[in-house]
Amino acid sequence: MSMTVLTVDDSRTMREMLRLALADAGFRVVQAEDGIHGLEVLQAERPQVIVTDINMPRMDGFGFIEEVRGDPQHRAIPILVLTTESDAEKKNRARMAGATGWIVKPFNPDKLVDAIRRVAA
Amino acid sequence: MDPFAAIKDTFFQECEEQLAELESGLLAMEGGDQDPETINAVFRAVHSIKGGAGAFQLEALIRFAHVFETALDEMRSGRLAASPEVLKTMLRAADILADLVTSARAGQEGEHAQQQQLSDELKAMSGAAGADEEEDWGDFEFQPMSVAVDVPEEAPSARAFKVRFKPRADLYAKANEAALLLRELVRLGDSQVELDTSEVPLLDAIDPEAAYLIWNVTVSGDTDELAIREVFEFVDGDCELDVEAQGGSGAGGGGLDIGALLARAQAEAGPLIETAPDDFDLTALLQAAGLPEAEPAPTPAPALAVVPPAPAAPPAPAAPATPAADASEGLAANQSRKTEAGATIRVDLDRVDRLIDLVGELVINQAVLAQRVMEAGLARASAVAMGLDELEQLTREIQDSVMAIRAQPVKSVFQRMPRLVREVAAMTGKPVRLVTEGEGTEVDKTVIERLADPLTHMIRNAIDHGLESPEKRAAAGKPAEGVVKLAAMHRSGRIVIEVSDDGGGINRERVKGIAIEKGLIAADATLSDEEIDNLIFMPGFSTAAEVSDISGRGVGMDVVRRSIQALGGRINITSKPGKGSTFTMSLPLTLAVLDGMVVSVEGQTLVAPITAIIETLQPKAEDVHSLGGHARVISIRGGFVPLIDVGMALGYRREPLPSSDGVALLIEGEGGARAALFVDAIQGQRQVVIKSLEANYRQVPGVAAATILGDGRVALILDIDTIVAVSRGEMRKAG
Repeated sequence: MSMTVLTVDDSRTMREMLRLALADAGFRVVQAEDGIHGLEVLQAERPQVIVTDINMPRMDGFGFIEEVRGDPQHRAIPILVLTTESDAEKKNRARMAGATGWIVKPFNPDKLVDAIRRVAA
Repeated sequence: MDPFAAIKDTFFQECEEQLAELESGLLAMEGGDQDPETINAVFRAVHSIKGGAGAFQLEALIRFAHVFETALDEMRSGRLAASPEVLKTMLRAADILADLVTSARAGQEGEHAQQQQLSDELKAMSGAAGADEEEDWGDFEFQPMSVAVDVPEEAPSARAFKVRFKPRADLYAKANEAALLLRELVRLGDSQVELDTSEVPLLDAIDPEAAYLIWNVTVSGDTDELAIREVFEFVDGDCELDVEAQGGSGAGGGGLDIGALLARAQAEAGPLIETAPDDFDLTALLQAAGLPEAEPAPTPAPALAVVPPAPAAPPAPAAPATPAADASEGLAANQSRKTEAGATIRVDLDRVDRLIDLVGELVINQAVLAQRVMEAGLARASAVAMGLDELEQLTREIQDSVMAIRAQPVKSVFQRMPRLVREVAAMTGKPVRLVTEGEGTEVDKTVIERLADPLTHMIRNAIDHGLESPEKRAAAGKPAEGVVKLAAMHRSGRIVIEVSDDGGGINRERVKGIAIEKGLIAADATLSDEEIDNLIFMPGFSTAAEVSDISGRGVGMDVVRRSIQALGGRINITSKPGKGSTFTMSLPLTLAVLDGMVVSVEGQTLVAPITAIIETLQPKAEDVHSLGGHARVISIRGGFVPLIDVGMALGYRREPLPSSDGVALLIEGEGGARAALFVDAIQGQRQVVIKSLEANYRQVPGVAAATILGDGRVALILDIDTIVAVSRGEMRKAG
């Protein structure tokens, strides 16, 4: 069975870009609009990898990562954060929160898939 | 559509939403909103636009969005105060961003006229606030860079590297996996992996969460240090990593390798545009390099120890209102949005329109059936007739529900107005505040779309002609800032929209003077105040002398009235000297059905829109006067209005019906001109489903559309304005 990737992003455009790139690479994609929605989808879909944006309404990426890492059931799921080059500080905060790795926006689809393969078997 | 184009479409749709969010957020802040989630949402809107623009390489947009975002970030972090001046600049920036989105959507990527100026203003604001971010890179050319990843400072091929990799517990806690990293590492060349278990304690001393294993890997072949370090990119700081070139000088030598740093930073920027130099945090990098690793790190020190995740303080004086802290507040604030998003589906308009068409057919069919049953002579109390009543009820409900699908809040057109107000205010030099009410009031999508132009014109007028200059206002004891109010409400099955100002009101002397001068009224005409006010709707009232840059674009209020009437609406003005004027528009909620007066003419059934009819009357012979030919006028309360024989106007008969044999409908047509339509008889009032004649047949002068009646016959809906205009022309010839 193909690997399930959960993408969490409040931008529809970004969610669609991610879906296109990931589906092309053979992943099953499930989506959420923000951190809280992400936690709900996480329970229901059991993804093997999570790709999340940082700046989102309701619950941002940092909060979301902390929640996932604090949940014994899901703490081992690799989480990649979407960040821009200019957000060096955010990247580090995300790592402190427990992010496994990061993807620089605007992302290159191959790099995205590489990054996912780097963190998930 | 190819998927990429479809996403681009999504992007532009989303941009519209983000722009609306941006503007309403900034306006809320201007109104004193200090909720951190508001500025966050504003920042997010610009950030998202920039993100999407990056994906589609819309460079003018990216560049401007970046500068804007930087300024907003300063504001978000409290370094830039949200003063009224700052917010005004931000609002103007939002306007330019909207323009850039529009041009990008049209495929005309280019610089906006005011982009540079505003860009500079924003940069000045950000620069003044955040002294740390001095670098002015607004002129930085954004060129897609394709930096080869495999260009370190020295030719590396066919060399061997010795890699020592010791994960820390943190690495595992972040769900990184040593095995996966090693798997990727060995792909780089011929490899030998040795596991060093010397640090593994005895079983009873083992901490299951701790990390004890060390790997020593030798990689040889066509690879380089950069590629090796890239494998460990995500675990920098969560492991000890030594990479040593074997049998060569160079990278293994210790010290900070600036060349490699730069190469890597560029490689990370990738071939896509995002160069964003502010990530180029040399201070942090140098700090990181200079900072000794907390533990006995073996030499050589990692050349690429980027900022250690832990305390290495960010150079900026910290960001107090950072999102993690806001998350819980944001949660409450945005709870409602989730419900909105969750309860919405997007449907093609075509599908909705097809449904509306079908329901229209259903309504007609139900009416036909009801009539047949009546004709069959079934008793009203019979089960069939009662069942039919229920069917009728149900059909109406279905119709209402389906119409409601096309209904949208007027917000989408209202929200275009603040920008207009800002622009006109700037042009006229009059400070103006726009107040909107009832933005959630819903009306048919088509009505909304066609409201934009008349509203734009009326608001321009309100500011340009309605509001006095600040000096005059001060003299009249009013606050310098004028208020223009835009309100929407539902009233008896229609939507009412009001545009009002608190200006000087209509200058009746002047209006009357202009009307006399233009020959619109007789010099000695006695008019009520209301009639004078309504003169401004007359065609030809608006004159070249009146044309100013703002409101007079050769379009007068008569055009506004005509476009409102084309929507089946009416417009009125009330004005109080010194207090201001109010334009009131009343419009049908939908264009798919019409309240009609069903009349007969020469055995034909016709429908007149009720909105145009003021009253109906039975003409007395002595009130009707012939003007020669077939032209007649009727005297109504002392005034004369043309009496138009509809049968003749439409060619049903050659001789007019004697005035005692019919009924007159007093109507108000274009420009407020009154006329009486003379028909044979009135059958009744009915809501009818509008069927386009143009779509099904062709355009016919004097006929606006058609409908199907209960007996299955087609009835034409009268185009009153055309009938009146044509008859007047004939009357002029006759008279």
